[in-house]
Parts: sequence; C-alpha cells; structure tokens
Amino acid sequence: MVQLEVLLQTIVSGLLLGGLYALIGLGMTLIMGVMKIINLAHGELMMVAMYIAYWMFTLMGVDPYVAVFIASPVLFVIGILIQKYLVTPVIKVESILPENQVILTVGIGMVLVSLATVFFKSDYRSTPVDYASTTWYLSDFWANSPIELSVSLLWAVSFFFAVAITLALWFFLSRTDMGKQIRATSQDSDAAILMGINVNRVRALSFGLGAAIVGAAGCLFIPLYYLYPALGGQFTLIAFVITILGGLGSIIGAIVGGLILGVFESLTSTYVGMGWAPVGRFVIFVAALVFLPGGIASILKRKRLGK
Amino acid sequence: MKKAITSALFSMFFAFGAVLAHAADLNLTIPLPLTGKQAKFGEIQKRSYEIAAAEINAAGGVKGNKLVLKFEDSGAKPDIARGIVEKLIDVQKQPIIIGEYTSACAKAVAAVSEERKTPYLVVVSGNDDITQANYKYVFRLNSPNAYYADGVLGFMKEVVKPKTIAILYESSDFGSSGAEEMAKHAEASGIKVLLKEKYESGAVDFKPILSKVKSLRPDVLYMVSYVMDASLLMRQIKELRLDANLFAGGAAGFAIPEFIDNAKDASDYVVTSTLWSPQVKYAGAKQYAEKYKKQFGDYPSYHGAAAYAALFVAKDALERAKTWSPEDIRAAMKATKMQTAFGPVQFVDKNGYQNQNFIPTLALQVIKGQHETIWPKSMASAKFLYPMPKWRERK
Repeated sequence: MVQLEVLLQTIVSGLLLGGLYALIGLGMTLIMGVMKIINLAHGELMMVAMYIAYWMFTLMGVDPYVAVFIASPVLFVIGILIQKYLVTPVIKVESILPENQVILTVGIGMVLVSLATVFFKSDYRSTPVDYASTTWYLSDFWANSPIELSVSLLWAVSFFFAVAITLALWFFLSRTDMGKQIRATSQDSDAAILMGINVNRVRALSFGLGAAIVGAAGCLFIPLYYLYPALGGQFTLIAFVITILGGLGSIIGAIVGGLILGVFESLTSTYVGMGWAPVGRFVIFVAALVFLPGGIASILKRKRLGK
Repeated sequence: MKKAITSALFSMFFAFGAVLAHAADLNLTIPLPLTGKQAKFGEIQKRSYEIAAAEINAAGGVKGNKLVLKFEDSGAKPDIARGIVEKLIDVQKQPIIIGEYTSACAKAVAAVSEERKTPYLVVVSGNDDITQANYKYVFRLNSPNAYYADGVLGFMKEVVKPKTIAILYESSDFGSSGAEEMAKHAEASGIKVLLKEKYESGAVDFKPILSKVKSLRPDVLYMVSYVMDASLLMRQIKELRLDANLFAGGAAGFAIPEFIDNAKDASDYVVTSTLWSPQVKYAGAKQYAEKYKKQFGDYPSYHGAAAYAALFVAKDALERAKTWSPEDIRAAMKATKMQTAFGPVQFVDKNGYQNQNFIPTLALQVIKGQHETIWPKSMASAKFLYPMPKWRERK
C-alpha cells in the first residue's frame, strides 16, 4: 500500500510538472516551426516575464496569476521587436556561419541576464502568495482512505492555466485566419508568399506569440518556484529537449513531450535517484534524436495518414 | 657644484619616491561569484569585505598603505576562478589571495596558490579535502565540513535521540562532503541511515523523492542545500505532510534569512547548523552585524562574518610579516593568533588537516519566524522547541 502511495504521488507530481514543461516547450516549438530558428533566449524571456510578475506583486500586490494577462502582452511586444529589429536583419546577411541566428539568440539571452543582474541584483526573489501552502489531501475527502495523496492548490491552478492557454493556442492556430497563415508559413514559406501571405508579419507575430506563451509560463511558475537572473538557462534546455522530443514545430508533440518528460523525471527521481533526473532528460534527448528523429509528431502523422 | 646639485636632486627624488612607495595603495583583488546561481553568497561577502576595508582604512590602512579592494566575478566556475587567480599572482604580483565561495572554486584556487607558492586564505568553502591535501600555502578560516554538524549532532544526541535518519543533499562538493560526514557520524553513534540521496541544485519538484522519504518514516531528515532549494524542500515537505521528529539543515541555505522569507511558516522548528550568528558573543560581532543590517536591511549570515573577519586576518598577517614575500607572509599567517568577529583564529595542523582554523559550530532553530541560537546551551539565545507538532496539528 505504501508503495502504491509513492507511485501515485509520483505520477501526480509528474503530470503537474509536465503541464508546465509543455507550456515552456510550446513557445519554443512555435518559433521553431515558423522560422526554423532555435530560440536559445527562450528561458531568459521567461525570466523577464517572471520579473514583471514579481514587481507587480511586490509593488502593487497583483496576484501572479493575474499578472499573466499583463506580462504576456508585454512579452508579445518584446518578441515582435526582437524579431523585427534583431532576427530579421541577421537572417538577411550572408555570413560564413549559416547558424548565426542561433548565436544571435544566445547573445540576446546573455544580454537579458546581464541586464537583470545589473538592475535587480542577484538576489533570490519569490512571490509569497497567501494561499501558497493550501493543499488538498485525499484523506480530507475520504476519511478512511488507505493511502494519502496530496495536490497543492498552486500546482493545480498552474496546471489548469497551462491547459487553458494551450487550448486557446490550438483554437487560434486551427480556426482563425491568422492561425492558418502561421501554419501555412511553417509548412512552406515560399508557397505562403505566393499565396499572398505577408510572411514577415507572420514571423514577427509568431515570435511574439512564442514569447507571450513562455511569459505566461513564467507567471505560472513564479509562485511555485523562485527567481534570479540566471534562471533562464535550465529552462531553455528543458524547452529544447521538449521541442526535439515532440517533433520540431509540432504543437501536439510539445504537449505530449512535456507531459512525458515531467512524468519520466518524477519516476526517475523516485526510483533511480533524484540526482539522475537531469541525466534522464539527456537520455530522452539522445534517444529521441536517434530512434525518433521526427519526434512524437512523426508518430501522430503516421497514424493519421494510416501508413 | 653641479655634481652636488645633481646628487641633492637625486636624493630628494629618492626620498620622495620612498614616501610615495610607503603611502602606496595595497591592491587586493578578491575572486567571488557575482553572477549565476551562487551570486547571492558572493554579494553577502562582497559587502562584508567592503565594510572591513572601510574600517581598516579608517584606522590607518595596512602598515600605512591604503587598502583598495577590487572584485572579479568567477561565476562559481572553477576554471574561471583559476584563471583570475593565475592573473593575480603572475601579473599583479598580489602577495596574498583571499576569497571564493564554492568548494569547487576554492579547490582550484588552492591548487594554483600552492603551485605558485602564494598564501591563500580560504574564507567559507567547506569541503574537507581543501586543507587535507598537504598544501603549505593554503589556510582556512572556516571549520571544515566534517565539523559543521557538531552543533546539530549535539542537539540530536542529547534531545532528539533518533534511531533512523534520511539524508538529502545537493550534488556539489559542499553537499556531498556534508552528507558523507553526517552519514559517518550517524553510523558511529548507532543511527541507521535509511536513505542518502543527492539532487541537482535548482530542481523544481522534490515531491517524488520526498514521498519516498515519507514512506521510509525516518526520525530525522537531514538536508544539505543552498538557500532556495532549502525553502522549496520545506514548502513541499509541508505540502506532503511528511512528519519527522526533526528537520535539520547543514548550514548554507538553511542558515540565512532568505530561507525563512521564502519558506514562510514551513520553516518553523527547522534546526540548522551554522558557523556564526549575529547573537554570538565574540568581540565586534554585534557591531558588524548591526552595521551590515543598517546598510543593507538584513542581518548577514556566517558567510559575511567570515569574509569580514578574513580581511582582518590578512591585515594582521601582512603587518606582522617581515617582508611581503610569500615565505614571510606564510610564516606570519602560521603564527596568527587573534580574536575576530567570527571567533578565535589560529591555524593548526590537526586530525589530518593543515593550516586549519577550528571554531565551534552552533545550531540555530527557526522560532516564530526568527533564527535563534539553541545549541550549544552556553551560547543559546533562546530555549529550543521540541518536540515539534505534526503538520496536521499546526494551524
């Protein structure tokens, strides 16, 4: 019974973590799909959003979950500006290194980290909300329950926000005209130009959208976690693994990939050792590259086409 | 005549030169992590070094030389710390090296200093190896990791009397040596180690490993972590209602005010070892703590006090040294015997350590949102709270 309790608690934690991972991965995969750029400043953009949420909480008492609606639009604008004034000019230049956009995004990330260190010092910060330690216990609802499970309110709320944002994005991409333009551009940008789509505008828009999504992820994350200028790096890495695992540019792939990674890390923590969780992440990354080059998206595609 | 004038001019020139040389600045560059994850600790120390330097200069400097501090950012990366110190020794000819924070960096710096025969004063790095490597030029101000838990161990033995213990630690030099020592002490005193597991610092979700700990039901959960991990651990322990007779931390993260700020009521009753607290009765400790609080709004942790004291130790050695050659400074360091705000300082060779200063370690407990010294009893600022209530019974 005790073992069952540990297993169930592990899976619950893994799914909740995976939901947030998926949201972090989504933004990167969107930018990847449309522009064929790996945005390595992804985690740093999240850090910027977290500072916005932090300051709004500290100075005005705005709840971090409300800050989603402010930080995301701000990040949207930042994303568009980055695409318009930094990425586009660099892509146009014929350089020795075709990967110069990758280097560019790494550079943007470094600048953001340094700016945050200069302005906000390297203090650790967090937003202690009143309901931070509210937790539901299975035994509260079912007094004689043989096992005890707990779900923290914060994790649950963040998870459901993540699901809602994902659904909204899916609706936007599949149902709206703009969403269709984005998908068309990601499938074949030359054809999209011929169809009269303003590809430059679509690109700016999707960079903005990607930044806004990871900004939302940052706001959902800060009540659970904490904040310091160099925080972005590890989340860029996680987003990168999810993007590869999910299949480059695939939305559904990113969601499934995020959940898989979350549960896999939790199971590794419990049954192999917590120190092995980052190793597990790396194993998944290499395994995806070797055995499933197209990621989860390729499996989904095969199923749909019946091949 | 002309010759006389020239010689007079010459002698004047030299005399002037001597005056200049005498009132020259003593430039000390201190490598510290000022960016990256460990930057918080670098900052506490940087501020404390600066307070000490201001006091030293106000009292006439080091042998009449004005002490000018500079800081270089190592980002807690051993290779960068190594590069900085190579430059300090080879190019700037700095007579003594002070600083660094993480054990990994201190190890790298110690190796360079020993190789280049320049005295190095380790300030807060805990890994035991650093002063066990038979280095002649490496001195350490803080107690080695093996002694950190003494205060907590005393409290455990006399009050908690546990039969089982679980140990969680972060996978750094500091974390693993701290966990290793605790496991050794526990085995030696007949406490069964049920689990000893490491985690990667910066982890988001500790609940999987904590639910495993919960299923093992240890009497004591001992954790060696830096600050934000410590807060997350306690918050998630509360979420899971993981009950133990004692939650104990091995210095670093659990001993600084940010731990309480971030873990909130989940930090109540937590006991942690530390090397120093603002309540200790060493001369100058209280003044330093108040000065720090006045300038930066918070009381410093032991990291700051060690840095503050380190500069006085260096000043003392430089003033006693016959010349500022590495050999003479080393001899002066070796002969150090002084009282600082961090405690008594004397570098001895004992129990396999060389040039090691041993200071008594304390145990703090979080009582009503404040760190209070509870052990050893002679230094206590408050009576310890034990046993602690189960999570379900707390409000």
